[in-house]
Amino acid sequence: MTDAIRTDALGKTYPTGTVAVKDVTLTVRPGEIFGFLGPNGAGKTTTISMLTTVLRPTSGRAEVDGIDVARYPGRVRRRIGLVFQRSTADEVLTGRENLEVAAGLYGLSPAEARPRIRELLDHLDLGDAADRRVRGYSGGMRRRLEIAAGIVHSPRILFLDEPTLGLDPQGRAEFWEFVRDLRRRQELTVFLTTHYLDEADRLADRISIIDHGQLLTTGTPGELKDRLGGDLLVVRPARAGDGIVRVLESIPGIANVDPPAPDGAYRMHVARGESMVPSVVRACDAAGIELATVSARSPSLDDVFLTMTGREYRENADALENGHTHSP
Amino acid sequence: MYREFVTVLRREYLRWVRVPIWVASYFVVPILYLVLFGQAFNLNNLFPTGPAGEFYVRQALLGAPNYFSYFAVGMAAFVTLTATLYAGTGILFDKQLGIHQRTVATPAPRTALFAGSLTFRAFMAAWPAFLSLGVAVLFLRVPGLVGLSVRSSVSALGLGEVLLAEALLALMFTAVFLSFGYLLDSNEAYFGITSLLNLPILFTSNAMFPQSTMPAWLQNVTAYNPASLAVNVMRENLFNTSGYPYPPGIYLLGLFAWAAALIGIALYLSARALRVP
Repeated sequence: MTDAIRTDALGKTYPTGTVAVKDVTLTVRPGEIFGFLGPNGAGKTTTISMLTTVLRPTSGRAEVDGIDVARYPGRVRRRIGLVFQRSTADEVLTGRENLEVAAGLYGLSPAEARPRIRELLDHLDLGDAADRRVRGYSGGMRRRLEIAAGIVHSPRILFLDEPTLGLDPQGRAEFWEFVRDLRRRQELTVFLTTHYLDEADRLADRISIIDHGQLLTTGTPGELKDRLGGDLLVVRPARAGDGIVRVLESIPGIANVDPPAPDGAYRMHVARGESMVPSVVRACDAAGIELATVSARSPSLDDVFLTMTGREYRENADALENGHTHSP
Repeated sequence: MYREFVTVLRREYLRWVRVPIWVASYFVVPILYLVLFGQAFNLNNLFPTGPAGEFYVRQALLGAPNYFSYFAVGMAAFVTLTATLYAGTGILFDKQLGIHQRTVATPAPRTALFAGSLTFRAFMAAWPAFLSLGVAVLFLRVPGLVGLSVRSSVSALGLGEVLLAEALLALMFTAVFLSFGYLLDSNEAYFGITSLLNLPILFTSNAMFPQSTMPAWLQNVTAYNPASLAVNVMRENLFNTSGYPYPPGIYLLGLFAWAAALIGIALYLSARALRVP
């Protein structure tokens, strides 16, 4: 079976010399939800733009549904749907008219488009608002209309670029429920970028992490977390001091302590976290180091991100939330 | 290509018809031009009266019975030119609202996108010119107003030539300003360019003033201005003219050449702007 997406050393260097994406090689299987994660400016949007033929790669190659994106952009565009970060609906038009325009631009005849649009509007809970101007739509309704516009031509692959940016938690949950449902009904492949790692963890079958334009790792959320090795032990001393690292690394089972996080906590990967807690407490007590908290937990995608990039994911997400959404 | 073309055309129409003030402006502005500008700017009052004066007027205005009639036909071209100035604003707003981003991500042929907008915007630039001419004729029946007097024997071919001249004028300038919409990203740059071009195009034409009153160098420029060519076609067909060096067909040929060149350049520039970077 043809891969939904396949890239081979895909790269984009702008005329200014800025390398936005370098040697990205990945495969997305048909029917899967693939999460593409990375901090702001990591190269996510550039990659998605190349895959959707909006940008031309400067090196390597990419195939979408078996078609080379650089050689046959028109054929690729017919097979893909796009949901952008921001609303692209025409506010003066009604929801139905927006979908009719989208269908027309994909070459659908009115006879083909009409039943499809009706079905989408009903399915996305927009039936009652279909003949109202988009200007009066809520944020959630606009997002759903955006999905409808992205799939009105029944694409095989749907690209979602930060589709839930700016939605409240309930709106995000509803949005993803629609996406999951659509995948079930239409056997869609979904390629998504999101800065909500918890969403990617729950939704994505597989994930790639990109940073500084280079792909760092790919795998299922479980695999990525497993690669960190067992559990995560988090030790926060009551007062800052250098000695704690030496004490912790002297405990059998603890090999490598990460540099302290901004909250002063030290993280380390251990085989079985809970059984290590008493050893940590005893060792620190013996060394005269007062502890504020000690906890053990399974690693999250945030931990994967921190390990791969050396940076907290949250600070990038905060930048996005605060409106710094540009990513080359 | 046809479906995409019709889709763009329909969207342009829906956007226009949904904004009542925009619709109203198309009906009111040409009438305002004629009522205020046309009646106030009536140079007829400066010409000598009596048979000698009438002879002078007909000679200077190349057969037009009075200055308002001469001006009203030029005003038709002016109305069209002014409307074409805004042809690219829809594309600019689409860029700012993200609509353009979705449009160019579809497989719709770029020529269909350009042609759809060109057809609608050119039509919207041309028909107010005919409204303007019709209203100017109706002024003849309004006491206190000067009206447009056309000859009684305007042929069907003549009317066809007038329509064609207006259509060509609308198409070529709509294409030019549409391409600026594709090429530019800022409203300021767009309106800077339109302001820069608007007055030179108008005032290097014979739309408002007889060519014979201009200095020699300006007469040469005016002779080739597409607005002058369109106005010549209209005046030659609507008045009992004399003194035009060429028949309307020659001016139409000139308009075709201008239209082919400007639409070709505009299409090329728009295609470049729409190329995948």
